[in-house]
Amino acid sequence: MSFLPNNATVGQRLRAAVTSPNSGVVSVIVLVCIFATIKSSVFISVNNGFNIASQMVFILLLALGMTIVLISGGIDLSVGSVMGLCAGVVAKLMIDGVPMVIAMLLAVAAGAGLGMVNGLIITKLGLPDFVATLAMFGVARGLLYLWTAGTPFLDYMTDTYFVIGGLRRPLGYLTVPIIVALVATLIVAVTLRFTPFGRHLYGVGSNSHGAMLSGVSVPRVRLLAYVCSGLLAGVAGVLLAGQTTAVAPDLGTGYEVYAIAAAIIGGAALSGGRGRAIGAVIGTLTLAVTANAMNIAGVDPTWQQVVTGLILLLSVVLDRASTLLRSRVVQIPIQPVAATTAATAR
Amino acid sequence: MRIRERLANIAAVEGVVVALIFLAMIIFFSLSSPYFLGSQNLRNLFVESTFTVLLAAGTSYVLIVGGIDLSIGSVLGVSAGLTLLTMQKTNSLPLAIAVGLASGAAIGLLNGGLIAGMGINPFIVTLATLSIFAGGLNVLTTRAQLIGTPSKSFASLAQGSVFGLPSPVLITAIVVILLELVLIVTPFGRRIYAAGINDRAAHMAGVNLRRLRLQVYILSGAIAGLAGILLASKLNSVQPGLGSGYELTAIAAAVIGGVGLSGGQGSVWRSVIGALFLATLSQGMQLLSISSTWFTVVTGISIVAAIAFSRMTQRLAATVRPAASPPEPTQPEPEPSEDRTPAAAG
Repeated sequence: MSFLPNNATVGQRLRAAVTSPNSGVVSVIVLVCIFATIKSSVFISVNNGFNIASQMVFILLLALGMTIVLISGGIDLSVGSVMGLCAGVVAKLMIDGVPMVIAMLLAVAAGAGLGMVNGLIITKLGLPDFVATLAMFGVARGLLYLWTAGTPFLDYMTDTYFVIGGLRRPLGYLTVPIIVALVATLIVAVTLRFTPFGRHLYGVGSNSHGAMLSGVSVPRVRLLAYVCSGLLAGVAGVLLAGQTTAVAPDLGTGYEVYAIAAAIIGGAALSGGRGRAIGAVIGTLTLAVTANAMNIAGVDPTWQQVVTGLILLLSVVLDRASTLLRSRVVQIPIQPVAATTAATAR
Repeated sequence: MRIRERLANIAAVEGVVVALIFLAMIIFFSLSSPYFLGSQNLRNLFVESTFTVLLAAGTSYVLIVGGIDLSIGSVLGVSAGLTLLTMQKTNSLPLAIAVGLASGAAIGLLNGGLIAGMGINPFIVTLATLSIFAGGLNVLTTRAQLIGTPSKSFASLAQGSVFGLPSPVLITAIVVILLELVLIVTPFGRRIYAAGINDRAAHMAGVNLRRLRLQVYILSGAIAGLAGILLASKLNSVQPGLGSGYELTAIAAAVIGGVGLSGGQGSVWRSVIGALFLATLSQGMQLLSISSTWFTVVTGISIVAAIAFSRMTQRLAATVRPAASPPEPTQPEPEPSEDRTPAAAG
């Protein structure tokens, strides 16, 4: 949001920075980094940066899918369970001797299929998003428990899979999960900004009736949003199975909360119509940096959940404060929402 | 009036279909297992369901006013922990109850203050407080041995009985009836509906939205606190993680009963039916000795099936009912809705 003239004063620039979107979150990241750097010299190092990046890959993939769903006005509580089940699919198929590439494709397809089931229940049966995906959250998790019979899938790793899971690093710090996450972020960003589907998502999320009147098939867009989310969860599951080298029945539990938190910290709104791919990255980075800083600073593990919640709260409170400040100090002519929606929907 | 139309009129009342599904389920379980209608089993069923029923009743207030409270599960845990701690330290029952209720209300105040005072999204605020206080319980349980108190009066709170009725069931029944009455009889209840249906109109009609929302979140917290007191008394011990997942069950119960997530729609008794539905389902599955790994799968599918079935009946009923149909009752015109968009090209 830099609508500043080139000769803006320092004060103007400072004010614009404070009131720009995500400023609250970015300031939290900076604060956490300063704190961690003072606490430990290990924090600012290439190695630790790589650690943070490897930790955030899975949540980032889920958060990207969540952002798409949130933009369309929905919510997907099932991503953690779906990711776990897809990891189970790839592990079990490889144990049964299915070639790796086919097993991975099938696992990703399973993720997309489960997302499609979510979407169909929501658009065809008319169930609330929250309930449909809550049910899928239970069903997918239960299926993994039934399938594994309580004991983890083991002994499916191959040499190539070690590379894909990021455990062997022929390219140094650039591991396969990190490359996949980068590519996925790029694809999602381009899709949201430059394709008709992306514009339809924003249109459906901010004003579904308006989108319908301008000829967008609202159910199709919403269905596709859930398919995207399931697909990304499937990809995350394939990578996660490679990193953990064992698929426990509770793999991926609680990830949906991180994904939602990351997407919302990154500026996606539960009311729909808002969100960006870079927001998902910033949100995930906040969570990952916080967790990493707490580990390095030696925060008692029992306190970590409390601190995570506080950071989440702090970043939304700061963002809200920045929004309130923005509405007071920056006089940018506000475009009417209805007009932009109609334009994007067409 | 033909029988078909009469039936349709009955089915069109929200909540009736779910109540009928509930009855059908009870009949099914009582035919499948001779123990289901035994007094001991019914007693267990009601005692087990009180916690979900209480939380679902509180949740319906929050949902009707147009919010959501994800923190109730961890509020329940924290309040149970603090109640037991107070009981151990002071052995004073009134003080312990006061601490349990006050801790719930205080967290509700924090939620409500951030949501109503600062205008931050309720989902993200209560997600953050969920994490903070679930972590808080973890910290509390590592600092104190929360196992057992010698007090008989505290144990009788949830294990005793009054006039042959288990006391927690009696307490829950009184609270639920009070909550329902407040919602339908008092101006406070009407304001909640008004704010949920159209907050701007309610604001113009003189409703103090901030105060109203604050009150509702405090109420929700206090009820979760009460559930925590009862659970602490029943278990006589508090472990970390107590209460996690209760929030999703409570919200699912409310939605099964027909409380809308978008606000202004529903009532306490419908949520209670939803909660009893879920409790009966899990109790019945235990009696039929269905493996507990099937629980989440069956529960998820039956949530979707119950809501989809009641939606479908209502849609059918709407086409049969003379009041809702155009002059020719044989070929009624479907209402245009967002779900059925014209398949126009984008």
